[in-house]
Amino acid sequence: MEAITQGLYLLVDPLNLALILGGVFIGVLVGALPGLSSPVAIALLIPFTITLDPVPAISMMAALYCAGTFGGSITAILINAPGAPPAAATALDGYPMAKRGEPGRALGLATVASVTGGVFSLIIFIFAAPLLAQVALEFRPQEYFALAVFALSMLASISGLSSLRNLISGAVGVLLGTIGVHLTTGVERFTFGIPELSEGISFVPVLIGLFALGEMLAQSQTLDKTFERIKATATKLPSLKELNELKYTILRSSGLGTFIGILPAEGSTVAAIMGYNEAKRWSKKKDEFGKGSPEGIVGPEAANNAAAGGAMVPTLALGIPGSGSTALILAALIMHGFRPGPYLINETPEFVYAIFGAMLIANIAFLLIGLVGARFFSLVTFVPNRLLWPAVFTFSMIGSYSIAGSLFDVSVMLIAGIVGFFMNRHGFAAAPLVMGLILGKLVEETFSQSMIIYDNNFFGIMESPVVLVFFALTIISLSSPLWGLLRKRRATKKEKEEKQA
Amino acid sequence: MSESPPSANQSEGARSEDEGARLFHPIDTLIAVGIFIFVGWLWYVSSQFDAVSSLFQDNITPDKFPRVLLTTIVIFALFLPFEHILLKRDGRDIDKNRSRPVKGIAWVTMAALIAIVGAGFYIGTLLMMFAICLVLPILWGERRLKYIVPFAIGFPLFVAFIFQILLGVHFDPGVFNVSFN
Repeated sequence: MEAITQGLYLLVDPLNLALILGGVFIGVLVGALPGLSSPVAIALLIPFTITLDPVPAISMMAALYCAGTFGGSITAILINAPGAPPAAATALDGYPMAKRGEPGRALGLATVASVTGGVFSLIIFIFAAPLLAQVALEFRPQEYFALAVFALSMLASISGLSSLRNLISGAVGVLLGTIGVHLTTGVERFTFGIPELSEGISFVPVLIGLFALGEMLAQSQTLDKTFERIKATATKLPSLKELNELKYTILRSSGLGTFIGILPAEGSTVAAIMGYNEAKRWSKKKDEFGKGSPEGIVGPEAANNAAAGGAMVPTLALGIPGSGSTALILAALIMHGFRPGPYLINETPEFVYAIFGAMLIANIAFLLIGLVGARFFSLVTFVPNRLLWPAVFTFSMIGSYSIAGSLFDVSVMLIAGIVGFFMNRHGFAAAPLVMGLILGKLVEETFSQSMIIYDNNFFGIMESPVVLVFFALTIISLSSPLWGLLRKRRATKKEKEEKQA
Repeated sequence: MSESPPSANQSEGARSEDEGARLFHPIDTLIAVGIFIFVGWLWYVSSQFDAVSSLFQDNITPDKFPRVLLTTIVIFALFLPFEHILLKRDGRDIDKNRSRPVKGIAWVTMAALIAIVGAGFYIGTLLMMFAICLVLPILWGERRLKYIVPFAIGFPLFVAFIFQILLGVHFDPGVFNVSFN
């Protein structure tokens, strides 16, 4: 209890509060802009926050993360262009509701569901993170290695076009993490005589390049794209009667979203899709889905915001990112000198509770933004792409440069961006590569330590039941896309047979 | 001379050829081959790592972990040419994003960025920002000077103010010695 008070006390400082609110503002703004999303904004924020104290720096990012997820719903509802991928499912019913003349109601439903989902997941976070950290304290290198492998295997089911390509991206990310001097032996690996590579590839330029520049190059091809806009009216809060009808959908999606968020590598997009599907499955008015169903709005919105809080649990308690955005927050924690994991929670609990407080403030703040400012934030889409993206690139360039004051990092960002653009074109997502890059060091370090403990006998590490459980989960995770496919095929076959009969 | 109808063998051959074409996705096959070549080269590079001191001979050698990863990538890449079959059955189209060629503007943007960042080593950070804010909007078709000029001057100064003055980042002044200070 004392740690909670101390953590919240850390946020009372006016500068910290201002930065959190700044994070919320930027988050909603960025979330509302199609193409720009929370990972891009967090990546661009890292260089800015590097000079700040850790509490305001990480709190600002956490606030931005929560608000960015919500911000995407504004443009999903008003212009049928989800500002961020997690809001794609919201557009399915949000836009039809807005189109039939009820944009204020759709925004109100999305706001209330988002806040409920966010707060729900934070309550779980405050209990689950310390418990998980307590368990993880018992982990030895081999258990950590197995956990990291399991987290990487979860990339197979992360949102994206292809599980196989996600896994290749993840492995390439881990491989990139091996560039530089090998810590145990001092041998240089893949440095090609370039002195700047001796310390390895810096996270930030790669992240900024993959997310911001890759997206900019993609946007350069759709400069003349226009959206059909629906004039926003004032946000209308749902009535008590309506809330009563929707309470089970909101709670179910909040629980589901939190659970999905806690799973390593899964993020808000998967949660939103599952939230939508479950809302439809349990609904008594299934035929209204796709035509402006309130359940079709609150289901994905509660789930994607709950996943944001849920994803912070493994990030802080285990040092395993729960999503692409939390992978960036993890990178920022490392840059601020923290080692995310059980020791962080056990030794500096007030820091973790300060982040929790920042996310709570963010949720309350975007409730106000949703109610008062949603229609103004939707105007951000009027900013011409021809000026917006050069501005983003300027920030990307200076952000990459400012980490070490090196133009070499700007070149790394540029290469990462161009590679990211072609990767995305061929179905290789950027998020798995980032996760691999960030987890790479942990995987290699724990693998080497385990091999030393077990005298280079790989099968020796299987003595631990925890390792066996994680490896079993890894196999399940890797084979799950195949099982899903087989199940779908069987269902289609059955459907065909029924139709023929 | 009349054409004889295709024999059973011929039609079977055509069918198997057709199935063969569908079995391998041409672009993904190329990507897989590219990956194999790249992995082969990295494998060779890993064989050139410095020898490890005898003190560390019993530990995992520096090339071992990268080689585990390279092997993993190759194993995954082996399935790439055939993956489209499974994706298609699942209703997903792997060619959706790449069905159209990359537009000229994307290539031009890449070339411009490479040129500006390359020049950045000489002209310094601030001039590099001015160049980006001026060149990119024009390349992308913005012709309204009332937007371009204030943006190309004001935005780099704003960014320089935040990073150089507020955050204390040192901006490389380049050969022209141009700096916000």
